Amino acid sequence: MKAKKILYSQKIAPYVFVLPFVLSLLIFWLYPLVSGIVMSFQEVSFGVTSWIGTANYQKLFRDSFFTTAVWNSVEYMALTLLLMVPIPMVLAVLMESRLTKARGVWKVIMYIPALTSVVISGLLFRLMFSEGENGQMNVIMHMLGQPSQAWLRARFTGWCALLLLCVWRWTGVNVLYYVSGLKSIDTSLYESGDIDGANAWQKFRYITLPLLKPTTVYVITISVFAGLSMFLESFMIWAGNNSPKNIGLTIVGYLYKRGIERNEMGYACAVGVVLMVIALVINFIQLVATGTFHIGKKKED
Amino acid sequence: MANNTPKQKTMAANHKVGTFFATALFALISALIAFPLVCGLLGSFRDGQKVITTGMSLDLKSPVSLQNYQELFAMFSPDNFSDDVVVNSRSYFNWYKNSLVLTITTVVLTLLVCYFIAYGLSMYKFKLQGFLFFMVIATMSVPFEILMLPLYQEINTIGLINTNAGVFLPGLCAASTIFFFKQYMTSLPKELLDAARVDGCTEYGISVRIMMPITKPAFASMAILCAMGSWNNMLWPMLVFRDTSKFTLQIGLNTLLTPYGNNYNLLIAGSMFGIIPILVIYLIFNRYLVEGMTSGAVKG
Amino acid sequence: MKKWLAMLLAGSMVLSMGTVAFAEEETESGEPTDVTTVGPDDGTHFELWSFVDLHNTFYANMVEEWNAQNPDRQIQITFSTYPFQDMHNKLMMALQAGEGAPDICDIEIGQFPNFSGENSPLYDLGEALAPYEADLVQSRLDVYSKADGTRIGVPTHVGATVMYWNAEIFEEYGLDYKSVKTWDDYTALGEQLKEASNGEVYLTSVDTGGTDWLWLSMAEYGEDYTGGPEGPVNVMLDSVKNMLTMQQQWLNDGIAMVSTDGHTDTDGCRATILDGKIASFPKAMWYMSRFKDYMPEEEGKWDITICPVWEEGQKYSVGIGGTGTVVTNECEDPALAAEWLAWAKCSPEGEAHIWNDLGFDVCNTALWSDEEFAYSEDNVYNTFFRVKPYELLNQMAEDDAIGTVYTTANSPVLNDYLCTTTLNEIFIDGMDVETALQECQDYLDMELMM
Repeated sequence: MKAKKILYSQKIAPYVFVLPFVLSLLIFWLYPLVSGIVMSFQEVSFGVTSWIGTANYQKLFRDSFFTTAVWNSVEYMALTLLLMVPIPMVLAVLMESRLTKARGVWKVIMYIPALTSVVISGLLFRLMFSEGENGQMNVIMHMLGQPSQAWLRARFTGWCALLLLCVWRWTGVNVLYYVSGLKSIDTSLYESGDIDGANAWQKFRYITLPLLKPTTVYVITISVFAGLSMFLESFMIWAGNNSPKNIGLTIVGYLYKRGIERNEMGYACAVGVVLMVIALVINFIQLVATGTFHIGKKKED
Repeated sequence: MANNTPKQKTMAANHKVGTFFATALFALISALIAFPLVCGLLGSFRDGQKVITTGMSLDLKSPVSLQNYQELFAMFSPDNFSDDVVVNSRSYFNWYKNSLVLTITTVVLTLLVCYFIAYGLSMYKFKLQGFLFFMVIATMSVPFEILMLPLYQEINTIGLINTNAGVFLPGLCAASTIFFFKQYMTSLPKELLDAARVDGCTEYGISVRIMMPITKPAFASMAILCAMGSWNNMLWPMLVFRDTSKFTLQIGLNTLLTPYGNNYNLLIAGSMFGIIPILVIYLIFNRYLVEGMTSGAVKG
Repeated sequence: MKKWLAMLLAGSMVLSMGTVAFAEEETESGEPTDVTTVGPDDGTHFELWSFVDLHNTFYANMVEEWNAQNPDRQIQITFSTYPFQDMHNKLMMALQAGEGAPDICDIEIGQFPNFSGENSPLYDLGEALAPYEADLVQSRLDVYSKADGTRIGVPTHVGATVMYWNAEIFEEYGLDYKSVKTWDDYTALGEQLKEASNGEVYLTSVDTGGTDWLWLSMAEYGEDYTGGPEGPVNVMLDSVKNMLTMQQQWLNDGIAMVSTDGHTDTDGCRATILDGKIASFPKAMWYMSRFKDYMPEEEGKWDITICPVWEEGQKYSVGIGGTGTVVTNECEDPALAAEWLAWAKCSPEGEAHIWNDLGFDVCNTALWSDEEFAYSEDNVYNTFFRVKPYELLNQMAEDDAIGTVYTTANSPVLNDYLCTTTLNEIFIDGMDVETALQECQDYLDMELMM
């Protein structure tokens, strides 16, 4: 009876609510994470492990494939940020303006690519950008009187395909985030803007943009993580982990190659740890830059 | 209309031009976005290997057939072995069923668990609150691939290998879902809680009877995202499942790509048909999606 | 809340019930039912993984035949087919964790070194293979062995490399491909073909994503860039340089094109072959089944010969590709599993299935000259091409023409660098062969030293 009373008290209740999280955190996150970090200092071979100190890390920093992978991932992240923040924002503003008709239809169509799996969408893009005579892009080239291109062999065109896949899949989702952000802006602000004689650009610059900041922070955060850990997209477009001159090799791709394709688990874990450090640093910079660190406190008032 | 000033008239005209261009722009974007999917859809009705030899063209004149779908649903009729035993571990509908069961279980359990965690994190003030919320964010920033191998060994030891639970348990307390629910609930008035307490409701009663109905839009938007993730997930389930009979749709479709050649025609047909359930869920919950997002994560 | 939850549940129920109903209808209508376990319940049970359904079908038949012949040693096997890469990953994960691996498993040759290194968890098959060993192609057994020579995998086929010719094209232009003996002859034929066809038809296509040409050249010279099981890796070989230089020249002269999608065993390149854009290419014998399965309309058009050489008297073939089947240390009766496996893949009964159903050049050389086994008109490959494939194999056996290139622990790194970087630099960017190879060697030295 007493036990029940304590369990039902307002003091204990929150702990009961968060208990599953704490358990899951310990069992499915902290334990594997620590094992991973420990393994990065080991050589692992069919259950037999031996300590090798920082040898994995020393090798890592001299490994040209790893350097390529890091730059590819960082560059991909940066480019997706450049594409996936401003474009959806402008599209959302345009969509929510009174100008656009049938916006429900456009929203649904733009969202559909996000529902497809990377496996199928990557395959569709690979066939589209195929170097064969019958890929759609080459058919278009022929219509323009141009010869066939080996799209996925060159870095520039290969990356166009990769970025296009990203834009194709996620524009609709990001537009939706911005549409939600716009909906939460008080319309009376625009009315007072009208009264003050502000033009469309001024209203966008001084009302919309600042008030969309929380949305922008959220979109940037998810894009940073998604960009840094991109793997399957490249894996599908280049039909595997081997792209010409490694133009499509990413950090997670390299982790996968070393750990799973080549059975060098210790080395792969070192790659993973470096990735984690990069993610944490970027995350930290971004949180400081956007002032999100105070988010928890703001909530209280 | 009669007493419109000339200025109003030009504005109306401008507005009309603007409407035309804005709408045309979205129509164009939608067409471009639909293009690969339409190609895929048409490709799924092309004859067998034609998809590869002639490409996935928009050519409407080339013959259309249901052959791929027939073959997919029959999966596979063995023709080269007459009287001998034929090992045929492929059954499209079995994959489909497994995926449905796994996705529904995952979505329902994840939403409920994450809801209660978020409720605890946002409705009370307690010692570990700040730290735990920080950990929610922290788990989001560690890529799953790093945890994969140790996690696999762990699942093996616990004995969850080859079970649905082994697939969804590690991801049950999804950080992004908790984060979303928490953001959503923080914006709700807490006075309701006190009123309910006065009425003699228990803490747990309040969370179910008072708060849950209010968070309906958040549930809807998370249901879509969670279902998408689960339905399309492949890497982890592939490691956990050992029985061919437990394969999900995504794993099964991947068995069509073999070193002996790729059954692209079946893969494309199978994938196109596989979008249906997730599309249905999306269309059902679509109207809640923006509503849920508006009051959820994107509020600072 | 209740309403939408009800909706969700109702909706999904309808969907899933619909599909299940469909599925049941399917089985009732007399379509083949799924068989994943073969053999009596009281037999010794094994689990077997493969990445090809056809392999499992073959094994299933061998289980039935075994049980018919060995009433006192019945076996039962449960089969699983996984996606190619995933099966190898899963096997690796399971063996690393020491739990969850199957008893018997197919491993593709390129993946094999990952499993054969130190602490290899694979069972020694030496005893099981002993009855067949004398008749088997030795180099094929060697590639599935540990560095100390312990046999740990049973081969499926030889994969002898031969030259495929689109005879119809050469006839059309009145050119004679049959007299080609050396690579010089081959290049000269390419010039003639280019002239005759106005540059429409290429003699061949060179690979940026595969090393078959290099293997062939190394076998001819008797060289090996892996340095064999003991190493060291060295790509600065005459065989490699000469082959790459010659191929680069072909590209410059418009005699050859770069293989669509990297090598000839891709869908893109098969389209090129079907279009008649390339007239010949060297490939292992197992490529015959690709013709049958994916290019049936090519029946009767193609001829197969032995490959050109640098100098007469050299070896002219090399075994490429393949699958080694292994017994893992998790098997409870490994001796029985190994005995069945060796019998299934090396005995005349098993080899008959491998040749007739799968279309492979079998490893058991005693059968090559067996008239009924090798030349039966019932075998589709004996009629599909303008030559009976085993005639070539017997010629190779007579000349001892099949060379060996090892697949070692260093092979994945080596292959990776060549196929992603070096070959692309040489064939796409036109980089100097010597420079590109030196770059490759430097990377390998750094990578493998540590």
